[in-house]
Amino acid sequence: MTTSTIESIPPRLLAEPIEWFFAEHYRHRQACKMIEEVAAAMVFDRPRVIELIVFLDQDLPLHVIDEEEDFFPLLRRRCEPGDDVERVLGMLSAEHRADVVQASAVRDHLLACLETERAPGLDATQRKAMIAFAAQERRHLGLENAIVLPIARLRLAPEDLTTLGRRLAARRGRLLDVAVGADQA
Amino acid sequence: MSEALLADNLAWAAGRHGDRDFFTRQAAPRQAEHLWIGCACSRLSGQDLTGLPPGAIFALANLGNLALSQDIGFLSGLQYALEVLKVRHVVVCGHYGCGAMGAALSDPAPGLVDHWLAPVRALAWRHAQDLETILDPAARANRLCELNVAAQLAQLAANPLVHETWRRGQPLSLHGWIHSAADGLLRDLETSVSSPRQAMALVGGPMDQVGRRRGKRKAS
Repeated sequence: MTTSTIESIPPRLLAEPIEWFFAEHYRHRQACKMIEEVAAAMVFDRPRVIELIVFLDQDLPLHVIDEEEDFFPLLRRRCEPGDDVERVLGMLSAEHRADVVQASAVRDHLLACLETERAPGLDATQRKAMIAFAAQERRHLGLENAIVLPIARLRLAPEDLTTLGRRLAARRGRLLDVAVGADQA
Repeated sequence: MSEALLADNLAWAAGRHGDRDFFTRQAAPRQAEHLWIGCACSRLSGQDLTGLPPGAIFALANLGNLALSQDIGFLSGLQYALEVLKVRHVVVCGHYGCGAMGAALSDPAPGLVDHWLAPVRALAWRHAQDLETILDPAARANRLCELNVAAQLAQLAANPLVHETWRRGQPLSLHGWIHSAADGLLRDLETSVSSPRQAMALVGGPMDQVGRRRGKRKAS
């Protein structure tokens, strides 16, 4: 039975960036589950295929920008040499690049299935690619949750979190109030 | 090609006709308060990124947003901005995805571009140990972009024209920022200085209060 969905995140979490990232990673796990379910399904399920395409097209690239061009650079500046974070972040950056390439291939296949109305998993090669992408993504998320986010919790100051939250929000078309971090959008 | 550009210009000017005051606003005298040292390959200008009105920013651009004391073009622009316009802020603004940083990290080919980027290449060598931990070439170039902004700000902080401005008692702050064309957002690299003492701390001299606070965190 296919029951997984990709939940939305309450906008108020933008004011708490580390919680936002945890929630975002949870959504990515939900997307991975959905990819596996769609890959295993014998019947074409248009709404779920569309939901995945939207996720791969919009949410994933935005999340990569959040981390690669905002969160990771900030962590590099804040971490102590003993944190040994450079190597982990360096590896995660390479994985992000691979994610974007793999996600693009999965999205292209889903788009093609949208045209033909064939279940995406009926093509054995593509099914394997979808499952491989989900597995790689899960491993990547696990590493970020286990190492990067706990270090961030330790090293980022309240003002770092405030400015990071404002940029996360702006990237999503929202303006956070400077004084209280309340959502004005 | 040039005919096409001129035709585009006609269409652009005609397209502004609906906004009656557009060219009046453009032509209005305005004292620039900011000098913006950007990269020639950046797709977004300081005005694009801040929404400030035309004329509020005096802009200089070169490959890699360098602030070299040997570049007469840069020095002339800096002097004009400090002594004639009397700007209060100088921003060195790099951008993620910078082609110049990518070039500085690749095999050098003989040519003026490589001469120009030699200081950036040397900077990359100084930080090779950290940069080598970043496996993805684009992410590595982005990190070099941050290091380069900090290095150019240090150059600027030691520039005699800047020190002469402070000596005259003219308020002046220097800032190191970076932006991404992917989201249009500016990131403050926390290298701002507003006095000779802070400038000295930025280039490695004795730290003042600001320097101490910054030094506690990892310098870029």
